[in-house]
Amino acid sequence: MIGGAGMANNLEDRWQQALEQVKTWARANSPWAIHFNSGSCNGCDIEILATLTPLYDVERLGIKLQGSPRHADVLLCTGPVTRQARDRLRRVYEQMPEPKFVIAVGSCAISGGAFQGCYNVIGHIDEVIPVDVYVPGCPPRPEAIIDGVAKLLQVLQGTEVTKPL
Amino acid sequence: MATQEKGRKFIVPIGPQHPALKEPGHFEFTVDGEIVTDATVRLGYVHRGIEKATESRSWVQNLYLLERICGICSHIHALAYCLGVEKLAGVTVPPRAQAVRVLVAELERIHSHLLWVGVAAHEAGFDTLFMYSWRDRETVMDLLEALTGNRVNYSANLLGGVKIDVTDEQSDAIWRGLDFLEDRTRHYLDITTSDSVFLRRTRGIGVTTPEQAKRLGLVGPTARASGIWHDLRVDAPYAGYADYPITMIVSDTGDLETRFVVRIKELFESYRVIRHILDTLPDGELVTRVPRRIKAGETISRVEAPRGELFYFIRSNGTDSPERIKVRTPTMCNMASVLALAVGHQLADMPMILVGVDPCFSCNDRTVVVDQGGARGGWTWEQLRQYGIDYYRRQP
Amino acid sequence: MNAESTLTIAAKLIEAWTVETRTPEANRLDVMVDGAHLLEAIRVLVDEGWGYLAAITGLDTSVDSGVMEVLYHFCEGAAVLTLRVSVPRDGASVSSICGIIPAASFYERELREMFGVRVEGMQGPKHLMLPDDWPEGLYPLRKDADLTMKEAEANGDSREG
Ligand code: SF4
Repeated sequence: MIGGAGMANNLEDRWQQALEQVKTWARANSPWAIHFNSGSCNGCDIEILATLTPLYDVERLGIKLQGSPRHADVLLCTGPVTRQARDRLRRVYEQMPEPKFVIAVGSCAISGGAFQGCYNVIGHIDEVIPVDVYVPGCPPRPEAIIDGVAKLLQVLQGTEVTKPL
Repeated sequence: MATQEKGRKFIVPIGPQHPALKEPGHFEFTVDGEIVTDATVRLGYVHRGIEKATESRSWVQNLYLLERICGICSHIHALAYCLGVEKLAGVTVPPRAQAVRVLVAELERIHSHLLWVGVAAHEAGFDTLFMYSWRDRETVMDLLEALTGNRVNYSANLLGGVKIDVTDEQSDAIWRGLDFLEDRTRHYLDITTSDSVFLRRTRGIGVTTPEQAKRLGLVGPTARASGIWHDLRVDAPYAGYADYPITMIVSDTGDLETRFVVRIKELFESYRVIRHILDTLPDGELVTRVPRRIKAGETISRVEAPRGELFYFIRSNGTDSPERIKVRTPTMCNMASVLALAVGHQLADMPMILVGVDPCFSCNDRTVVVDQGGARGGWTWEQLRQYGIDYYRRQP
Repeated sequence: MNAESTLTIAAKLIEAWTVETRTPEANRLDVMVDGAHLLEAIRVLVDEGWGYLAAITGLDTSVDSGVMEVLYHFCEGAAVLTLRVSVPRDGASVSSICGIIPAASFYERELREMFGVRVEGMQGPKHLMLPDDWPEGLYPLRKDADLTMKEAEANGDSREG
């Protein structure tokens, strides 16, 4: 928890305090994410995968991509929702333990994107399950996806949204 | 075949969700002990109805829609479509634009093949190679981004040309990037053909003979690894390939190892061609005008996507949107081989056989084991993969 | 060998079943065949090793004409040979070519699903692409397909998409 703030008058203290915050952030949050594709073109999916690889390496931030919804805290959704995928999306969501959070990655997940109006597409993610964070882009850059997760974490921790260093 | 003793026949469904383009699959492998005796597939979990949607969008809008059939080979879809429409409209695209198209197509092939090397290595339990190849892949992603402004779905094509140009600085950057990648690729070739643990998962697994490959209708590197001389860049050069010829890489061993080798060797070809293009990029316009309404007619456009032949059938009735667009993606062809190859192999080899055709899927899947006797259990893709890795570890 | 001469060979091979031919582009040959002789024509191509089946396209151009077309595209190098079979919209059916070309099974399953063309002698589950609860008798790629059931299902959300 972040607590005991306010007494920081000298630089040293403030530094310590900031460090504590960073540590808390890192320690208290090792969110496990599961990725679900409900009809995407794969563009968003490879960018999510790219976040795991050395250049971006989200594991250094404690984020781990997980295979089973039962172990996951965060659901990363990509793509519009197709008719076949709708029930599976619901099911994956329901299988996740509370508290659970959903990040919609990519224009398709947000609005249906280029696939609006296709007969087998029923809509976007938040028509099926509640969404907490939207990451726009077609596809969003890995940095943006990481930022999306980070924003979610900040909300979880109750800290304000991004302060520049 | 297998004697079906009053037995415990298991069906192992894998999937249904392969984050893929038109062709994510739900596989069901029937197993007798360890050995797969039958396999079926059900596609369409990501079926969005794009072919129908093209009929209600204009020719230009379709460019953006079709590019999004697949995020991994987006450029090649747009290219196939553009080439087809340009043929129908009877316009000639300037040579510089054609060269730039080839340039982007080859960069895309590099990204796609490196991606596959990583994913395939991951399925084999060789995560170090996965991480390395994806790290190096970022080099080509940076080049694509510098060139087109986006890492995926580059949108480099226009009907009648391209919307990007190659500046001298970009050209220098590409040269530098390629030098680095070429070095790394040599390393990969070395690893995939010499690492004894890795070879246990690839050498002699999933062998497809040339006859089988032909019968199954394999395409792309998968077919070329089975001795099929078939590469549209050579057979029917499109865009700028007539000016920038490619050497076909063929080998007839047909196992998973060969598929690695063929794809990796194709990378060297791509590097060579890109350098050739940068050296001799013709001057001139980047785009010609294409009318809003396309003359009535039918055309067929075939291009070599990273995964094999991509086939477009386009029919216009003279209005500003197409009457019918048929897309046949390479994975559609190669998927059949998975079913045929699966039979007779160990269940533990399934992830590798699946990934061997580069079925355009990326990450996690869920599977359920249904015991026809009644009991029910759950397996994840991850578990199946782990099972494969452990299985090979246990072997003497 | 160039595309024209390759096509000449193909044209010779299937001459017996040819109803009409067209050459829309230099590297292409369209051959109308009667559905009843489709298998024989394809058998000859396969036996002689001419090309490979690249795709099967369903084509519905107009509701009024009462017919649809099924296109079998064979490719050899740059040459494309298309066998065109015309089928009535009501009770459309073609014979399965899987016995000759096993790789065609996906294409045929897709054809049946998207156009409602019965493929005689084809195996495999009913649906390939579409959901299991897809309405019976609705074939999305037919021109007159009514695909508006989408809105009804969208949980009362009737915004224009
Ligand atoms: S947002 Fe773009 S990249 Fe992502 S799934 Fe949709 S079309 Fe593909």
